Amino acid sequence: MHIAEGFLPPLHAVGWTVAAAPFVVHGARAVVKEVREHPENTLLLGAAGAFTFVLSAIKLPSVTGSSSHPTGTGAGAVLFRPPVMALLGTVVLLFQALLLAHGGLTTLGANAVAFAVVGPWAGYAAFRLTHGVGGGLLPGVFVALVVADLATYLTTSVQLALAFPDAGSGTAGALAKFLGVFAVTQIPLAIGEGLLGVLLFRVLTVNARPELERLGLLRPVAAPAEGGAR
Amino acid sequence: MTGLAVDDAAWASAWRRRSPGDKLLLCLGLVVCALVLPAWPGSVLVAAVAVALALGPARVPARTFGRAVRLPLAFVAVGALTAVVSVDGGLGWAPDAATSAGALVGHALAGGAAVLLLATTTPMADLLPALRRLRVPAAVVEVASVTYRLLFVLLESLSTIREAQAARMGHSTWRRSWRSTGLLAAAVLTRSWDRARRMQEGLAGRGLETGLRVLPEVLPSSRPFLACSALGLAGIVSASLAVA
Repeated sequence: MHIAEGFLPPLHAVGWTVAAAPFVVHGARAVVKEVREHPENTLLLGAAGAFTFVLSAIKLPSVTGSSSHPTGTGAGAVLFRPPVMALLGTVVLLFQALLLAHGGLTTLGANAVAFAVVGPWAGYAAFRLTHGVGGGLLPGVFVALVVADLATYLTTSVQLALAFPDAGSGTAGALAKFLGVFAVTQIPLAIGEGLLGVLLFRVLTVNARPELERLGLLRPVAAPAEGGAR
Repeated sequence: MTGLAVDDAAWASAWRRRSPGDKLLLCLGLVVCALVLPAWPGSVLVAAVAVALALGPARVPARTFGRAVRLPLAFVAVGALTAVVSVDGGLGWAPDAATSAGALVGHALAGGAAVLLLATTTPMADLLPALRRLRVPAAVVEVASVTYRLLFVLLESLSTIREAQAARMGHSTWRRSWRSTGLLAAAVLTRSWDRARRMQEGLAGRGLETGLRVLPEVLPSSRPFLACSALGLAGIVSASLAVA
């Protein structure tokens, strides 16, 4: 649910751009530091951005509504951490605006706050919390992706409610309106993305275990001791 | 053909050889006009100019431009209708509902057309180096450039794997379809890692030490183009303020 170009009033567009800036700059600094210390990781970071873009192009089966594509930022937050996703998510939003006509340039800041900042941080916090209370990787991933999606949808609804308060009931009434209207597509989408995340990580734990261990998502399996009794 | 219609149009556009900076100034000027000028006649003028320039001198295919403009319409329509419905004491229309909804749709369509004029005439490969001049760190531009180049490879993988899954009845039932979609996402992720690793090994073998430096393509700025852009934008602003 990207806010389309020109939809937000000028002051709101500027305000959300200013709000997104510190997070995107923080993400950019993290990326610059990573690339300076390990130039070879430029390609891995680029691959992470491309994966997030392509993940948002996968159509989820049997989810009603026209916007039945994952946001991809929840999975990105679990895999690559929220600060990096603040930058990669913003780059992906820019590409979506210029290559797919999803979102826009004046609404890039507002969309970045929802998709690249609030969604990934909320999803990652839910992932750590689930891990902390003893949930395994897959329950953590499911909760993270559902929470990231719901947080994104909630943030976008708040942005729209602030821009277009209801004539009688103000911002609170407008928030109820936008949450209600977009719930039809966004709640099934959140659950769908959670399920997709579980299926994705289940395959990865088998086919890409070394990568998940390197990213700190799985503990390395202890190597069998050498020189045992014959 | 890259697989994304807007990107294909940008590479084939008659404005492809124009300076990205010139096109950025014109299109951002139109975007700002669409945002701040009154919907009548500002948005109408911006939309008319953007469409005329795209389909006329820039020679963007009308079908590509039309399809891309229609994409955000569902959000714009639902959003505009929701904004002008009042929920205070039962459902009803807010005061000046039709005017407000029309203005919202007008701003969004005009702004969308202006962004599309940029997108369908300027490939991302030309725009990314321009970010360096806006003092975006080189490392960030490099990561964005790799993302841009890799996403077409991954989109092609996505399409091939999905076709193979469909041919093997991978989407014949709801359950199989979910399983196939999970496998598809995992395959795309592992391929992206594999591609990145292979590219990194190849570049390391060629002495990658200070980033991915390539010779930038020099597309000179055109004074007549800039002058026409400034005149056009001034005309839109004057006409809008005179009528409003």
